[in-house]
Parts: sequence; structure tokens; C-alpha cells
Amino acid sequence: MKTPLAWLNLTYEKTRLLVAIAGVAFAVILVFMNLGFLGSLAKAASMIYTRIDAEVYLVSPQTLEISSTKAFPIERLYQAAGIRGVERVMPLYAGYLQWRNPETRGTRAIFAFGINPDDPVFLVPEIQSPANQAALRRPDTALMDRLSRPEFGTQTVGLITEVDRRKITVGGQYTLGGGFAADGTLLMSDQNFRRYFAPFPLSLISLGLIKLQPGVDPAQIVAAIDQVLPADVMVLTRDQIIQRERDYWISTTSTGFIFGMGVIVSCIVGVVIVYQILYTDISDHMKQYATLKAIGYRSGFLFWIVVQEAIILAVLGYIPGFAISLGLYELTLNATGGGLPIGMEWGRAINVLLLAIIMCSISALISVRKVVVADPAEVF
Amino acid sequence: MVRSTLLNSMTETDHSVQIRQLNYFFGQADLRKQVLFDINLDLPKGQIVIMTGPSGSGKTTLLTLIGALRTVQSGSLKVLNHELVGMRKADLVEVRRNIGFIFQAHNLFESLTASQNVEMAIELLNEWGNKRSKAVDVLTQLGLADRVDYKPAALSGGQKQRVAIARALVNHPALILADEPTAALDKKSGREVVTLMQKLAQQEGRTILMVTHDNRILDVADRIITLVDGRLETDETLDNFVEAHDPKALDRRMFIM
Repeated sequence: MKTPLAWLNLTYEKTRLLVAIAGVAFAVILVFMNLGFLGSLAKAASMIYTRIDAEVYLVSPQTLEISSTKAFPIERLYQAAGIRGVERVMPLYAGYLQWRNPETRGTRAIFAFGINPDDPVFLVPEIQSPANQAALRRPDTALMDRLSRPEFGTQTVGLITEVDRRKITVGGQYTLGGGFAADGTLLMSDQNFRRYFAPFPLSLISLGLIKLQPGVDPAQIVAAIDQVLPADVMVLTRDQIIQRERDYWISTTSTGFIFGMGVIVSCIVGVVIVYQILYTDISDHMKQYATLKAIGYRSGFLFWIVVQEAIILAVLGYIPGFAISLGLYELTLNATGGGLPIGMEWGRAINVLLLAIIMCSISALISVRKVVVADPAEVF
Repeated sequence: MVRSTLLNSMTETDHSVQIRQLNYFFGQADLRKQVLFDINLDLPKGQIVIMTGPSGSGKTTLLTLIGALRTVQSGSLKVLNHELVGMRKADLVEVRRNIGFIFQAHNLFESLTASQNVEMAIELLNEWGNKRSKAVDVLTQLGLADRVDYKPAALSGGQKQRVAIARALVNHPALILADEPTAALDKKSGREVVTLMQKLAQQEGRTILMVTHDNRILDVADRIITLVDGRLETDETLDNFVEAHDPKALDRRMFIM
């Protein structure tokens, strides 16, 4: 077995090793947090669509994402209903309301969904419970999302408060989550929606939901509907609309940029810390490395030693960084009451490990020059 | 490849080092300064040669040239029957693997034990199985049997230098180059170190070229050469050298220098 020179050199200076590990772990945590937020953004964007019982969606081309929809005529939905393979079509109305916190009397924007109470729009069984169904049908009554932020006040069933200068009663509760766009959500019947958003004709809908018969290929139906409908609506599969929302949040808002920048800055911090450690290590061992060259080792061997040290640092720093990130994810999830679906993914865990190794290798490449050009004649 | 041609040609001559009309310059263009002038020198196998001379006379430069640590452009420099003049750096590395180097400082890795430091040299030959036993053997010969698993921090100066010598000798190099190996040692340790080197040279027929200012160890030499201002000034046997440098025979010029 080869003498593990890289390992022994690193572990000989315990304090320096600890500082290096802390530095890499710090960078890894920063990267994980930024990617976590970015990932939860994407997940939050897609979450609502995984809770809706429809495979094909109609949206206005002017719609950016679900909380800023542009209404379009409900006729488009009826036209789509005639296509073979479509089982059911359902309109969805969506918009922001000003919710008054009954305790503090402060108002806060809340996101409201309007549905036909007869339509099984959401894949949330408790919405179909008799009590909730009855509440949905009562005037000036809405169901409230348990994942709404506490700033909206108590959410006890029967609570009466004000929305956009109109009385509202909390008729029941459900669990959905509003993602990044909404701090809280309400679910109400289309009739109530029309009242709160008056003047709002029910013939204009925010989103058209199309449920397909079992075994029908959504892509085919999308093509078929697209042929029938004019260009004032877009026909998208669930995957397409999720991708569209992700792209909106990540590419066209500053959110994606901020977190992307966060990842880059974290990596630079990591590169600098590891570079410092490796450079000091190389400087301390310059005579020894030059001696190795003198007795017949090639520059490539020394290059490899430094790269090994970098990879060891990457892996040693990654382990605590990963563990602490898991804890921070948990903390974030609890702090947002589960509203921000942040969590570890295997793909991300592996990518960050690779990133840490690349980061340390870059440091190695910067610092290794000194040892590669070391002149063995200088040791005499 | 170089190694095999080296071994085949070993029988051609009895000289480990053969130098003809060697000149060496430092620097480029206007700053070019000649440090070695027309050196001619033969080192036969099995000889212990001590090189002395005032500082700045080019001793260390000559030593690094023979050690294939610098590229040479003019004259002829044959080391272990290999012409170093005009050789590429990559091939110089191969030549260096057949030379044992002992430096003024021990240059041991603090993070490695005595044995591991020696094993680093054995690994150059791609010998993995018995490297530990080889390292222990050579350390034992140098009187460090009970120190093989100590790190340099736990060794005395003399012991560290002996580990460095073990590292230089473990691959049985035909040529050993030493630069002030005793400079950092006290009288007793210095004596031990050179006696060991002498013993190994005699037993195994190694050629040793040693640069030193240490008059206490001159007696191990078969031959003493003096370098002054980049020129080979004297080349004599030990007896002649002692006679010429006998304090009783000193003239006033010695003190002016």
C-alpha cells in the first residue's frame, strides 16, 4: 500500500484540519440552503397542481403563474368538454383578497380559490366531507387553509371577520399550502367568489381544469384541444404547466437569480478557504516536496498529493455540512409551518458533494502551481 | 527505459562520474554569470570524495549538476554512464532515482514516521510488498531499530539525519551525494553519521561525493578536491591534503584569505 501522504499531512496539523473542515462545511451549508430554497420554490410552484384532479389545463397566454392569472371565457372550457377522451371540465377562479385579522384588525392579502362546490377539484379528501361541502354552499362562507400563516389570526371554524369590506365566516378547514405566492389560502364557492370579487362575471375563468378518462394520453388530448380552440388560451399538460410556473419563478423573477448567486458566492468562499489551507500546507512542506522531486518523484505525483488533500477536505467538510443542513431544513420547515416545502433530495445531496469536490479541486489547481514549479536544486 | 539502458551500460567503465570541460552559467543575457569553469573530474566506483572550498566557489552547484537536478548545456557530464548534457528534464528524473541524496537539513515529513519517510523512497521503485521490512532493515543498520515508528518531532537531530541517510541509502544507489551532512549535528553525531556512510561505501562499493567544511570528518575521504572561484584548484589524496594544510606549514597567506 502506498504511504497515504496526503492524509497524514492533513491530519498531522489537527487545528488547521478542523479550520479547513469548518470552512468547507460552512460553504456546503450555504450551498445547501440556497439550493433548498430554490428547490422549495420549484416544489411550491408545482405543489398546487399535484393536488388538483386534472391532467390538462387551459390558461390565458397572459397568465404568468397561478396567483396572477388573466381571465378568459368559460366557453373555451365547454368547447374542450366536447373532445373525445375528456371526462369532466371544471372552472377555477383565483385571486387575492384583503383578509382582516379579527384580533389585530390588520389586513393581509390572502389567496382565494373559487370552485363549483359540485366539482371534485382538489385531491384533498377533507374538502369533500359533508360538513365542508355544506359550508361551501353557504353564502359569505369560506374554508380556510390550516397552513395559512399565523398572522391571519385564529382560524377556528365559525369565526367571523371581514374580507374586502364584506363579512366572511370560516366554515371549515383543509390543508393545502400556498407556496411562495401566498401566505394563506381560502376556498370558496364560485357564487361567493363572484360576490367578493364583484364585479366579476363567472363567465370569465382563471384556469380551466380538464379531467381525462382513464388511460387517455394527455399529450394527444392537448393536441386535439389545441386544434379546436382559438389562440386566446393555451392548452398544457400538468407537467407543462408545472414547468411553466417553475420557469417563471426561477428564471423571470429575481428569486432564482438571488439563490443562484448565493450558490456561486458560497462556492467562492469555499474555494478561498480551501486555497488558504492548501497553500499554507504546501508552503510548510516546500522543502519536503522539493526533496521528493530530488529523489526522483515527478511533478505529477506532487500534483496528485495536493488534489488528494483537496478531495479529502471536500469529503470531510461535506459530512458535517450535510448533517447541519438537514437540521436547518427541518428548522425552516417548522418556521414556515410546513408552508415552505424545503427538504433534502438525493440528487441535490450528490450534486453538492460533487460541487464540494470541484470547489476544492479548483483551490488545489490554484495552489498547486507553487509545488509543481518547485526547483529541486534549491533544497541543497 | 532509461533505467535499463543505464544498467546495461554500467559495465562499460569503472567511473560513476566523468566530467569533461564543464562550464555552467547562472542567469540570462546581460546578467549571465559563469560559476563553473572548465571542470574535469573522474570519480571512480567505491571512492569517498570530499569537496571543499570557500563559500560561493560553486561546490553546491557542481553537486546539483552531478545530481541531475539542473539541465546542462555544454561540455560533457556522465553520471552512472549517462550523458546528462542536453538531457530532457523528464529523463533527468529517471537518472536521479539511481542517486542517493543527503541534504544539510534532513527534510523529513513531520507527519510521517521514520519508517514511512524511508518507505517514500522505496515506493519510487514500485516495491510495495516488502517496503516496510526494507525500511526497518536499513534503519536498524543505522542504529534506529527502536525508533522506526517515531515521528521526526520525537527524534534528536542526529537521529533525524540518520533517517534521512536511511532514505538516501535504502534503494542501494551507486552514487551518493551529500551536502554538509554533518553541519546541523554535534561532534559525536556527526562522527557517527560519516562513519556509517564510510562503512556502507566500503561494504557495498558505493561512490560518495560529499561537500563539507567540517575538518573533523576529513579522515574518511579517499580523496579531497578543492574548488575555488568555480575552478578545480587541487585534487589530492588525504595524506597530501593533510600535509599541505598542516597548521605548522601554514604561511601568512592563509590568514589573509
